[in-house]
Amino acid sequence: MSAYIARRLVSAFLVLAAVITLVFLLMTQIGDPAAATLGNQATPEAVQEFNERYGLDRDVDAQFLGYLGLMRCQRPNSPVYDDDEAKNGYCGLLQGDFGESFLHNDPVAEVILRRLPRTLLLGAFALLFELVIGLGFGVFAALRRNRWQDTSIMSTAYLGQSLPSYVTGPIFLSYAAFLFGLFPVGGYGSTPLEHVQHAVLPAFTLAILGASTYARVTRSEMLDALQSDYVRTAKAKGLAPRHVLGHALRNALLPVVTLAGLSLRLLVGGAIITEQIYGWPGMGKLAVESIVNVDAPTVMGVVFFVALAVQLGNLLADLAVAALDPRVRLAG
Amino acid sequence: MSSDAPVSTGHPETSAEAAQEARRAARGRRDAIGCVVPVLGFIAVALLVMALAPERPDGPRYAGAGDATPRDGGTFVFHHESNVRSLDPQVAYDELSTMAIRLLFDGLLDYDHDGGLVPSLAVAVPEPQEGGTVFRFRLRRGVRFHALPGLPDGRELTARDVKFTMERLLRKQTGSPGAGFYEAIEGAVAFREGDAAAISGVRVLDRYTVEFRLKEPDQSFLYVMAMPFAYPVAPETFARFGSEADRHPGGTGPFVLEGWERGVQLTFQRNESYWKERVGPDRMVFLENIQRHLAGLRFMNGQIDALHRQTLDHRGLFTESEAWAETRLSFPRASIWGVVMNYEMPPFDNVHVRRAVAYAIDREGWARSRGNLILPTGQPLPPAITGYDPELEHRQSFDLERAREEMALAGYADGYPEVIEYWGSDGDVSRIYAELLQQDLARIGIEIRIRLVSFAVFLEQTGKPKTAALLMSGWNIDYPDPSSFLEPLFHSKNHRPANSSNRAHYQNAELDELLDRARRETNRQRRAAMYREASDFLARDAAWAFTYLPLTLEVWQPYVMNYRPHPIWAQDYRDVWLDLPKRRIAASLFGRGSAVPAALFPLARLGGRR
Repeated sequence: MSAYIARRLVSAFLVLAAVITLVFLLMTQIGDPAAATLGNQATPEAVQEFNERYGLDRDVDAQFLGYLGLMRCQRPNSPVYDDDEAKNGYCGLLQGDFGESFLHNDPVAEVILRRLPRTLLLGAFALLFELVIGLGFGVFAALRRNRWQDTSIMSTAYLGQSLPSYVTGPIFLSYAAFLFGLFPVGGYGSTPLEHVQHAVLPAFTLAILGASTYARVTRSEMLDALQSDYVRTAKAKGLAPRHVLGHALRNALLPVVTLAGLSLRLLVGGAIITEQIYGWPGMGKLAVESIVNVDAPTVMGVVFFVALAVQLGNLLADLAVAALDPRVRLAG
Repeated sequence: MSSDAPVSTGHPETSAEAAQEARRAARGRRDAIGCVVPVLGFIAVALLVMALAPERPDGPRYAGAGDATPRDGGTFVFHHESNVRSLDPQVAYDELSTMAIRLLFDGLLDYDHDGGLVPSLAVAVPEPQEGGTVFRFRLRRGVRFHALPGLPDGRELTARDVKFTMERLLRKQTGSPGAGFYEAIEGAVAFREGDAAAISGVRVLDRYTVEFRLKEPDQSFLYVMAMPFAYPVAPETFARFGSEADRHPGGTGPFVLEGWERGVQLTFQRNESYWKERVGPDRMVFLENIQRHLAGLRFMNGQIDALHRQTLDHRGLFTESEAWAETRLSFPRASIWGVVMNYEMPPFDNVHVRRAVAYAIDREGWARSRGNLILPTGQPLPPAITGYDPELEHRQSFDLERAREEMALAGYADGYPEVIEYWGSDGDVSRIYAELLQQDLARIGIEIRIRLVSFAVFLEQTGKPKTAALLMSGWNIDYPDPSSFLEPLFHSKNHRPANSSNRAHYQNAELDELLDRARRETNRQRRAAMYREASDFLARDAAWAFTYLPLTLEVWQPYVMNYRPHPIWAQDYRDVWLDLPKRRIAASLFGRGSAVPAALFPLARLGGRR
């Protein structure tokens, strides 16, 4: 087991390394950070000062090593780095430092930590909706197999899978929030209660896709389980139907757990399109703002967090499956 | 009859197939029902929603209390679709940052709604002395900086602060993009290059008087002094916060910064010890990064108090609605757009070809095809700027006959033989204009090939001599003086080996001389006449084919009082006050006459603001 985890961690590390390298190279190609941050009217001195401050006057390979923390950072004017002697002049990922955001003029970790709780709130709601709606309808459809309820639910799920959030989002916002006034019109609110109220509609928008997927997977897994030998045996032994259902459900849920692990990305990475549509100031919106403004350190930070969440989500899902299913042994 | 005769029941296998067939058919019906039911369900829900949904309101949902007496109170909410970059007045050079900076800081001088100069922190607009080279600013007494850490009670503003501000502005390390505007000050360049410890042309005469001495007479100087770059700042905040000073703006303005989550929102509180008596909201909220569609909905819902930059759909609604007529304004911002022809490259080194282009552009047609988002023009200066004249003698206009005559005069009666490359910056709007120009020029026998590049590449390439023959370009106002347009765009000193702002690479000694003379002239009438002459000269010589001014639409709520869009400052909300409490006036789903009882929708009230 521990050998398995170790192996997974190594592979997760390799994936992260590849992602970071790729995104770093891409970010050097999409534009000039100094021009994007200081504007087209910036003086040559200001541009030079900016580039020196963030070490952008170095070659790309030196910048990359500096970002990783394998090379001394050369940011003479940056107070953020100067007064930190513990790092001994190194200020990169290996030292747990994500750099300083060009746009926000703050350490990237701080920027991300400010946005993360909101995205977690939105993601948690979305995950809740996905599971409740998806599992509920999936099980119900399996129990009404091939009846009109089943086909209705499944075709609805099919529709749900094909409707992108940039279609459903504005529709919900215009009708449910604006015209009917059932929900706040975008934004985030200022008290915890308001945050929750503001989260409902975007979370639902986000959840449509996942709920549809869960409903379809749950149904098919449930059907398999209901036809299996142990269920027949259980029925033959006269077990109460709801106990039979419980047995079947536990097995049917294993793939759903794996899927839910993948959904952890939503919790951390936010939803780029949905957050933009609803003006929800989370990680997804941060990603868009950072990309538009060529704020490379922030983009890198966001991508790092999301990639990490995907890896951890997968790992946790596998461990959960192993815990739920005694047949699964995680070989080292 | 034998009873044991076999009864034909068909072949056993066939009967199983038939049963299967029947099952399949039944299943097919189920599937069909399963597909039809949700589709019908959706249609039913959609119809229900459409039947129940109130119509999109074409007017405001809220009105003011109807009390005409200006008063304090309330929270004013406004927005932008992008990020505020900086609250450092010496460094910020974008519209959004200026919106915030003008709430926090004051200038010595300010521009009124006609682009004229008015005193702000100065007691009066200084009169030029010594032939227009010396300006003495007398400061108001009792102006206090915001109370900040390091400045606990808010110190009084003095002439030393003005001097500090000018030094900070000109110092290279500050990286101010506006430093170049102030090089007319004596000793400014030497100070900037580090050859002098102080600016010799800026002297503190006493606690409340500061004197500026210029290298030569320059009447645009006072306009430049009203730009945010010269807004006085408190030295203490820079000593204390260093590079973080920009989040502790120490100004004298009507509002104090309460908080700023970058990329999300800024909040401001009223400055209780403001030097001038004024009324206004207790708080202001500036929402950043709000997309146009969302901003429009929130505005119509009464959650945003003033709206700018709409989606085309919302823009149409606000423009056509009678109910918004009192609180909307579509107006040209102080900027100019035109077709830029390279003065050094054929065929545009020939004045007749340039004139032909200027006559060939169907400006009214462009405005129609752009849904009246633009205002056609045929001269270099926008309205509200000295020198603009609606009756300018040689103003350009669409006249196909004359365009063809000019082509003939240039020797191209049968059209220009080569294809000309047209440069534009990438984007849908840019492409639309490129294609409009392509059509217009085809009619006089000029064929162009459109080349759209990124904005950075566009700026770099068109700023080099003899590179781009034909392009579309615009210029936004820096300060409301004609020199702010005519010099960067047409003076030969701004034709450089790289980064020319004079993208036509236009060089004309006669014009240079006229512009230099106008800059020095102290008599207002004579100066205006000179700029009108320069304007006419440029239109006649077709330095550009002047084409249009973009129209901005601003809409604000009926309870927002004393707001008038400013021709120079974008969204300047310094002087608004709110006529509270606001009343809901739109017939709404939950109001009187509504078909739906409010009790059905407990969350309904959440949409209300604050």
